[in-house]
Amino acid sequence: MSDTTGPKMVTLTIEGRTAVVPEGTSIIEAAKTVGVLIPHYCYHPGLPVAGVCRMCLVDVERFPKLAPACATTVMEGQVVHVHTEKAREARTGVLEFLLINHPLDCPVCDQAGECELQDYTFQEGRAESRYEEPKRFNPVEDFGGDVMYVPNRCILCTRCVRFMGEVAEDPVLNVSERGDRAFIGKAEGHDLTNVWAGNVVDLCPVGALLSKDFLNKARAWELDRSASICTGCSQGCNITVETRDNTVVRLKPRSNPAVNEYFMCEVGRLDYRWINRRDRLDQPQVRGDGGVLHVADWEAALDAAAAALRGRRVHVLASANASNEALFLAGELMRTSGGRGVFRVALGDEAPLPGVPDLSLRAERAANGTGARVLGYETLSTTPTIAADDAVLVLDDSLEGDVPDALLEAIARGAVIVHVGTTLPARIAPLLQVALPITNHTEEEGTFTNLRGRVQRFLQSRTAPGLARPSWYVLADLTERVGVTSGFGTPAEVFTAISSVHPAFSELTYAQLALRGLPILDATARGLDAPTTAGVA
Amino acid sequence: MAIRVTVVERPIEHVSYIRSTLSGLMTTFKHMVDPHKVTMQYPEERWELSPRWRGTHRMLTTESGKAKCVACGLCPTVCPANCIKLVPGEDEEGNRFPLLFEIDEFRCIFCGYCQEVCPEEAIHLGRHYENAEFSREAFIYDLERLTAQTHPVSELWDPADPKSE
Repeated sequence: MSDTTGPKMVTLTIEGRTAVVPEGTSIIEAAKTVGVLIPHYCYHPGLPVAGVCRMCLVDVERFPKLAPACATTVMEGQVVHVHTEKAREARTGVLEFLLINHPLDCPVCDQAGECELQDYTFQEGRAESRYEEPKRFNPVEDFGGDVMYVPNRCILCTRCVRFMGEVAEDPVLNVSERGDRAFIGKAEGHDLTNVWAGNVVDLCPVGALLSKDFLNKARAWELDRSASICTGCSQGCNITVETRDNTVVRLKPRSNPAVNEYFMCEVGRLDYRWINRRDRLDQPQVRGDGGVLHVADWEAALDAAAAALRGRRVHVLASANASNEALFLAGELMRTSGGRGVFRVALGDEAPLPGVPDLSLRAERAANGTGARVLGYETLSTTPTIAADDAVLVLDDSLEGDVPDALLEAIARGAVIVHVGTTLPARIAPLLQVALPITNHTEEEGTFTNLRGRVQRFLQSRTAPGLARPSWYVLADLTERVGVTSGFGTPAEVFTAISSVHPAFSELTYAQLALRGLPILDATARGLDAPTTAGVA
Repeated sequence: MAIRVTVVERPIEHVSYIRSTLSGLMTTFKHMVDPHKVTMQYPEERWELSPRWRGTHRMLTTESGKAKCVACGLCPTVCPANCIKLVPGEDEEGNRFPLLFEIDEFRCIFCGYCQEVCPEEAIHLGRHYENAEFSREAFIYDLERLTAQTHPVSELWDPADPKSE
């Protein structure tokens, strides 16, 4: 859209501001570029245009009547008015019709606070209803999956129908009946079990489609939001982590045209409860003289860990959800001592979203497998050979679930085992020399590299439990004590060090990555970068 | 150092107490016969409170005795003293209902915003003033306590003259 050499540019005036946009852009998108939001319901940049809600009617000079801004393309010299008497009156009329059958149940509606019907009614709707007949009533329906349908609140914008039909290409939803009896129907015998179906809840401008998982949990205005990256798979969808009282209550997609456009899948969306788990390792622990792990202060624990690792060959068993920064610092330990780094990653079925190029629930169900590979780690295929006087650093692999016995045996062969993690792994706890508590990705800052080699930042959204410290901080302290790095004060400094050491990351900084990330330089050479089409208009 | 006292000679009409004693007694006798009374015999007698009096809270209930609150979250949002704690959830029938609703009456400034904002007319300020308790904890009113209160509730404004004109 911002490409200035390609398409012919058109200049027009919207609300007195001059917009220069490519030919073929709709008025609604052109208005966004100059900071004017035209009220709309059925229009969504990620969906085909329907023009059914008539909410985006604007006054275009020398047009015989009002034009829908979503379906009217810009023309040279056009003058658009959004807030003329005529346009406002039309939109107030549209709102009055929408509110005829809309219940006044904002107090119990989960969408309240982030509802476009609420916002626009407040902005330009009528204060009182003139409708005196009884309102239409339909019972609540379970759409399957995570979706619940409250037909009374529905304004029939058809965003959900278009998403399932055109983007997910699983046309389960339709508009049934007609006139004032119309509602969103579900194909007989089908449920919204598509792994991308949860997006209809985000797309719904009102509270008609609700997440069963989030139902009645919190109000929209109580939530604190911060930008993050989904750890569900190696796609690296941009997300917003929403917390209430330091507890993650839901994840929402955050738009990034180069990665996930506006969407995220159910696997990532609903996999957040582990973030809130209470059985965290929250104090540093050191094995004392009696052979018992006991709580120590940070200085003592770091000294003990450094003493255990110093002079030994260090092998690292890393989590594929560790940040680039943590993997790099742990990698310095193994690189300088000649050790080997491995990581385990769960595999699942790939589930693409047909309507968006290169967006899929990836088989590799961890956020940073690619980052780990670029930084010199290998996927665990064969059991690593560990000599009797080698050290093993376990970086946040909880060793829960299905762990090959050979791996546990290999770890046990190490002379010393140091764990840097969010939990105390029960299977190796009796063997640990030192356990250092770190924060998970919602409690620290860092970067992940997705499967196309795009480096993306995530920010902190909650506070750390107990004495846990960010992973880059703990590993920077540890590596400094061992004597392989020095002087890291922020994650940005660690990242700068990565970009100076690893050619793949060269010339990247936190400031440049911003919140949408950048691909690593030799991504194409590594065969990681599939052809991506830059965002839609 | 010896204290030197100077005795000032004053005219008799300045130092005589007879006249002022008599005028004081006159006031006393006047009040004995005057019907106007100021002292109230509390607790046998009490003030009649204004309909707009704002005292400690009360939660109104439905016919079935359940709190009317739907846990919409408007009162904790509007509360300027941040004294309302609300955790929303669902009741047995799946309706929105507060799992936890607590008002810290120590923190409360009795502004009445919670009553004004409540879309269900559930939370009200009470028309009473006798709030004494034996412990500080008892001033954190939970949902059970709030629904058990029986005193009349505040009107916030005079129904006959809502704009105070």
